[in-house]
Amino acid sequence: MAFSIFGIFAVLLEFIRPFLPVFVAVIIIELVLLAVAMRKSGLSSTLGALKSTMPIGVIGFIAGLLFAPWLTGASHGNLAGILDWLSLVGASAGLGVVAMLLVWPPLALLRRPTA
Amino acid sequence: MKRRNDSQAERVDSIVDPGRRRLLKAAGLGLGSMSLAGAGIIASTPARALATNARIVIVGAGAAGLATANRLSSALDGASITLIDRRERHLYQPGLTLIATGLWKAGTVIDSNQRYVPRNVDWIHASVSEFDPDVNQVVTDTGQRVDYDYLVVTTGLHLDFDAIEGMNPELIGREGIGCVYDNPENASRTWEMVDRYTTQGGVGLFTRGPGGIKCAGAPLKVTMLTEDLAQRRGTRDRLQMIYNSPSAGLFSQPDMDQFLKEEFPRRDIDINWHHRLIGIEPEQHRATFDTPDGPVRLDYDFIHVVPPMRAPDALGNSPLAWQEGGFADDGNWMEVDRHSMQHPRYPNVFGAGDCVGTPIGKTAASVKAQVPVAVENLVSVIAGAEPMARYDGYTSCPLITSRGQAILVEFDYNLDMVPSFPFISPYREHWVPWIMKDKFLKAAYNAMLRGRV
Repeated sequence: MAFSIFGIFAVLLEFIRPFLPVFVAVIIIELVLLAVAMRKSGLSSTLGALKSTMPIGVIGFIAGLLFAPWLTGASHGNLAGILDWLSLVGASAGLGVVAMLLVWPPLALLRRPTA
Repeated sequence: MKRRNDSQAERVDSIVDPGRRRLLKAAGLGLGSMSLAGAGIIASTPARALATNARIVIVGAGAAGLATANRLSSALDGASITLIDRRERHLYQPGLTLIATGLWKAGTVIDSNQRYVPRNVDWIHASVSEFDPDVNQVVTDTGQRVDYDYLVVTTGLHLDFDAIEGMNPELIGREGIGCVYDNPENASRTWEMVDRYTTQGGVGLFTRGPGGIKCAGAPLKVTMLTEDLAQRRGTRDRLQMIYNSPSAGLFSQPDMDQFLKEEFPRRDIDINWHHRLIGIEPEQHRATFDTPDGPVRLDYDFIHVVPPMRAPDALGNSPLAWQEGGFADDGNWMEVDRHSMQHPRYPNVFGAGDCVGTPIGKTAASVKAQVPVAVENLVSVIAGAEPMARYDGYTSCPLITSRGQAILVEFDYNLDMVPSFPFISPYREHWVPWIMKDKFLKAAYNAMLRGRV
């Protein structure tokens, strides 16, 4: 059973639909914070703040590795083979990236402008 | 200070911070692309809708009916599309096994048909009590006669509890009786019985109705998840679990059949072959099975009842049903060409979903594969062309073997495995198919209702 790109997007839209207002609100807030940060401190300082979020990303990645199976109602004992372990690593990496992106705009705003 | 004009401001900005402009431009392009994709999904229209004033009636607003309504609404320009179903509530039936085994709450599967009925579709809130394809008409239970040029039958099926002597749906949730079909109330009451059984122990009888049933994996999933729950609770040694198959097999797909025939004994689940449930004595906690050696009565502390299933009477008693042969005997299912989904005797009639008599495929996954074929072929017929789309029998069952693991089983009319994702083995239990079943399949189902997948 083949899935088109639009089909995949359609499924993702249905998945986030219950949380869409929160999702959109968070994105808007983050973008506004990012814009304010760039206006205040400039692009290079704002981008520099992204580097500072890496520890958060690592924490998110480790948290994913430890807790993702439990969050899905499973346990690490249910993981079988390369597919499951790669999926866990990939999902945890994704969680780390999301954590970094969420923390980035407020961190950029609080950061002092570089000279 | 003198204010710069806009063009001066732009030049200054690009000089002062060229990276900022490139970043913003890229972000804008990205957002624009996402918006277009999102808008395309939210308001999808085909490249060219067929202009027609055809009158199309769709009977049944379940998964197949709503998906058909949405696809036809997009594919046709000017058609009169009428949907007939009394039910306001829409149930995500693939979630019922998860409710019955304590993994989901009942509310998770409850939705509203109104959310999915397209605006340009007329919805008659009634049931069809008579099909009269010789005059291209259906009659509702309120006496309304609805004429059509084309008919799509998506009624779903009827649970025949009356075929089990002493059984009725009111007994579900009492006297150790459970049944995962086919609403969340039954599933919730079944969970109460499973919960009690896996705590107190005793003899558990697990059954499967003969012939065609919807989600043939559900009786097996209930069995395995009940066993898994007992293991996790540390009460497994208190349970004697017996699966009663009405035939000599557990699953139509041979590889899965073999897997289950090895898995059940490994998990100390006994199997009775050729045991068809024909009667139940609730107060005595006793069930009667028809076997080749005559009736056998078994006592139980818990019994999972799976009734025989058939087409709704209005359809089964109509000329649209198979008039002879296995599908007639099995459940008076609707007659359709197994590949085109078109009725062979009434070419302006199509069918999809649980009501059709095809060798396999009473699952949501089958609906997902059948409806695009039925719609495409209907549109071809309306346009005066030959219906060329074909359904290959695709069906799927995320066979949950324990909490946290499932096998993503997908096969076709040839009973060959046809995995959608080549990296997910259809022969092995994995965590990923469990996540798909528990988290993502409902989203895919909803996208299907909207005609988008």
